[in-house]
Amino acid sequence: MKSFAITGRCIAAPPPPDWRVQLAGMLGAKPRRISKWAELGLYGALRCMEDAGESALPHDAQLWLVSRTGTHAATRLVLEQLREDLPMPLAFLQAQPGQLLALVAAQINWKGHACFLAGAQPQELFRLAAAQSGAGGVLLGQVDDVGGEVTNWLRLQPVAAEARVVGQKSASCIFDPGANFLSWHEADVHTVGSLGCRVA
Amino acid sequence: MNVYLAGRGLACSLGLTVEQALSALRVGAANAVSQTLPGTLGGNYPYHAIPYKQSDWDARARMLLSRVVDEAGGRRDGVLLVATSSFDIGAVELGGEHSDHAVFSAKVAAWLDWTGPVYVISTACTSSLNALLAAQALLQSGEFAEALVLGMELDNRLTSSGFAALQLLTPTTGKPFGVHRDGLVLGEAVAAVRLSVTEPSIWKMLGGANVVDGSQPTGASVAAVVEMCQQALRSSGLEAGDIDLVKVQAAGSPGNDAVEAQALRQAFGKVPPLISLKAMLGHTMGASGAAEIVLLCASLEQGVWLQYEDEVDEALGLELASHMPAVVERMMATILGFGGSHAAVVLERS
Repeated sequence: MKSFAITGRCIAAPPPPDWRVQLAGMLGAKPRRISKWAELGLYGALRCMEDAGESALPHDAQLWLVSRTGTHAATRLVLEQLREDLPMPLAFLQAQPGQLLALVAAQINWKGHACFLAGAQPQELFRLAAAQSGAGGVLLGQVDDVGGEVTNWLRLQPVAAEARVVGQKSASCIFDPGANFLSWHEADVHTVGSLGCRVA
Repeated sequence: MNVYLAGRGLACSLGLTVEQALSALRVGAANAVSQTLPGTLGGNYPYHAIPYKQSDWDARARMLLSRVVDEAGGRRDGVLLVATSSFDIGAVELGGEHSDHAVFSAKVAAWLDWTGPVYVISTACTSSLNALLAAQALLQSGEFAEALVLGMELDNRLTSSGFAALQLLTPTTGKPFGVHRDGLVLGEAVAAVRLSVTEPSIWKMLGGANVVDGSQPTGASVAAVVEMCQQALRSSGLEAGDIDLVKVQAAGSPGNDAVEAQALRQAFGKVPPLISLKAMLGHTMGASGAAEIVLLCASLEQGVWLQYEDEVDEALGLELASHMPAVVERMMATILGFGGSHAAVVLERS
């Protein structure tokens, strides 16, 4: 079993009305030439890192991202441009979900393993991330801009090998705001709330 | 726990099976067709299409995926990791619904009668290698005994036009590390690598690495390639001198090939024999990692080696192997892609 403490989070479904202003404040300028989906992702990731008290991820951390529709809006724009001409180069790049991984990596001054999982449930994302993660833990995100804006992120740090997380319950969603720990064992994901939880 | 490459399947421009692809490789028959793209930067570009025609995009995809998964063998209740950068956008271009990714995942599962969990990994060109890394971790966790990595990149105008817009395509042929290299040739592929912890086979997967460098979202970086090689070796318990062969990206890009060559010299010192399969397969994007590993393993087992038409650029300070190395016990397969993604896996002969 791998268990993680949640050391930072941004649960924004939807994000606050002024999220774009907040994002510009965190970046030092309004982001340019990136899609709304990427902006949403950046906002959540940076808020989560701020909540975790980290300005950069350790080199052995991992970045995992899931989305129901990903870059669909940017892809539709490219398909419209394609009716008459080649797409604009930046529009095509915005249609690649991996661009958000690169943007987040650049902003948090980090190089490492990052992966996008399409259309999965957040607990499935956690399952894959937990299987591969090491001592640096994981920055885990869920971002969507179609059918309601969502940018949920967790910073997870592995719990020491001797620790035991108790009082588990099956997770309906890993982004449960009351959870302080996540653990994974053989296809089952658990969240543990702050009440009744102890780490021995 | 050993993770074996227990089965494989491939449909690519060289043929609809691994054996057909090997036969084409033996005679050096690359099969590029011409693709016409719109606009002032458009025009005719070569494209490595799978030689199977069917007007219904979904029906064609279903047939190709089913054939390749059948060829790889195994059960349909393990974990399936689909690796793609373009999903089913070709169907959308022809009037299909632009559904969310969960619908795509369910569609692929239904095509294959797959009853186990399905994950869709999309990290542009490195998708298949990232799927292999995820599959290895899931198998080693003990949760599954078998996993199937299914790289899938099928005909669509979005990808080709995007690369043309970025002026990354050559109007002639792909020339890996070539002195006359002037761009990439794209291609289609469906490739399956079946991994098992219970079915020993010729090759096993030792480890690998994926390094995303956000400072270079559209190209490779020397530091990231070096880091990728070092991490892949560490995760495999090896040193640079233990690698007998590297399957490189070398897609024929003037800039990226030079970056990759510099990084390989730094990472390895004495660079092992190198092979690139892009001139024969084209760059098959999210499927490329799986497609090239399948073809490479089969080539090594059957003693088939390819020849390169273009002279290697001496300025790069390395060369592609003109003959199969006498011994290949351990090899590294790399793919570099959009999103600053650099990935490698290491295989060892069992």
